[in-house]
Amino acid sequence: MGRSKDWLLAVAGGALLALMINYNSLLARHTTPMFASWVAHGLGAAAAFVLVGVYATVLRPAGAGAPAVRAKAPLWFYLGGIPGTLTVILAAITVNSSLSLSGTISFMLVGQVIFGIVSDHFGLFRTPQRKIVASDFLVALLVLTGSALIIYGRA
Amino acid sequence: MTLYILLALLNGTVIGTSRAINGRLSVEAGPFKASLWNHVVGFLFLSLLLLALGDWRFQAVPAPPLAAYLGGFFGALFVAVNSYVFPRLGAMNAALLVISGQMIAAVLMDYRNQGVAPSPIRCLGVAIVLLGIYLTRVSKSAPKKDKAP
Repeated sequence: MGRSKDWLLAVAGGALLALMINYNSLLARHTTPMFASWVAHGLGAAAAFVLVGVYATVLRPAGAGAPAVRAKAPLWFYLGGIPGTLTVILAAITVNSSLSLSGTISFMLVGQVIFGIVSDHFGLFRTPQRKIVASDFLVALLVLTGSALIIYGRA
Repeated sequence: MTLYILLALLNGTVIGTSRAINGRLSVEAGPFKASLWNHVVGFLFLSLLLLALGDWRFQAVPAPPLAAYLGGFFGALFVAVNSYVFPRLGAMNAALLVISGQMIAAVLMDYRNQGVAPSPIRCLGVAIVLLGIYLTRVSKSAPKKDKAP
């Protein structure tokens, strides 16, 4: 079962995200959040381009066909980067408000979990639909409570 | 204050939207191409915004350290990893597991950067997050098949 691998990858992804935010905010402190994000997207595009190449030539087993993009993929499939950039701009607004950094992070986490519940329930953006069960709410409560202690428990 | 709380909550759903779309593209084109598209489109979009605002900061003083430019690399890896797991785990579990990894990593990074052991409250937070992750593992309703034909 591929579950454990997915689960570990997701947690590792969170660590990558923390590293990304750490270095990006360093750049943002020297410039502006939007300019820092522009630089990070440019360098990230170059890095992703290399990763695509490495994956295609080294990692993919010989003989396996390329996962060709089906012709029917609609345009919006390619536009995930736009809400991704809006995030940086919205965060810059709320970090500089009375919410500050801790409040911004906390409510963004809550917003992500609410989105996750709604998206799974309705299968938004043609993602797989999943029934939300009572224990999901317990997990969400635990992760958000633990996160709040981490965010506000800085010595 | 309420307005900013709503903005931050909205921002969480904007993040979720971006990850859902990238996850959807990953199913069609693979996670690395999804990451490439995400960064190219984001770069072009931010270029337009910066052109409109005329707010370029090429001559930052003081100059940022070289490490400040590492963010893009980790971002490219993150989007690929997240796009891969998103459709496999479902939006909510993907979000919760990524948040968990992010929070635990933040505690470890602070420990490394500051050399001070995390406070007891933060340790308790990590323990509660870990309990949450453990529960995702044991109580699971697997994602149903993609409803798209």
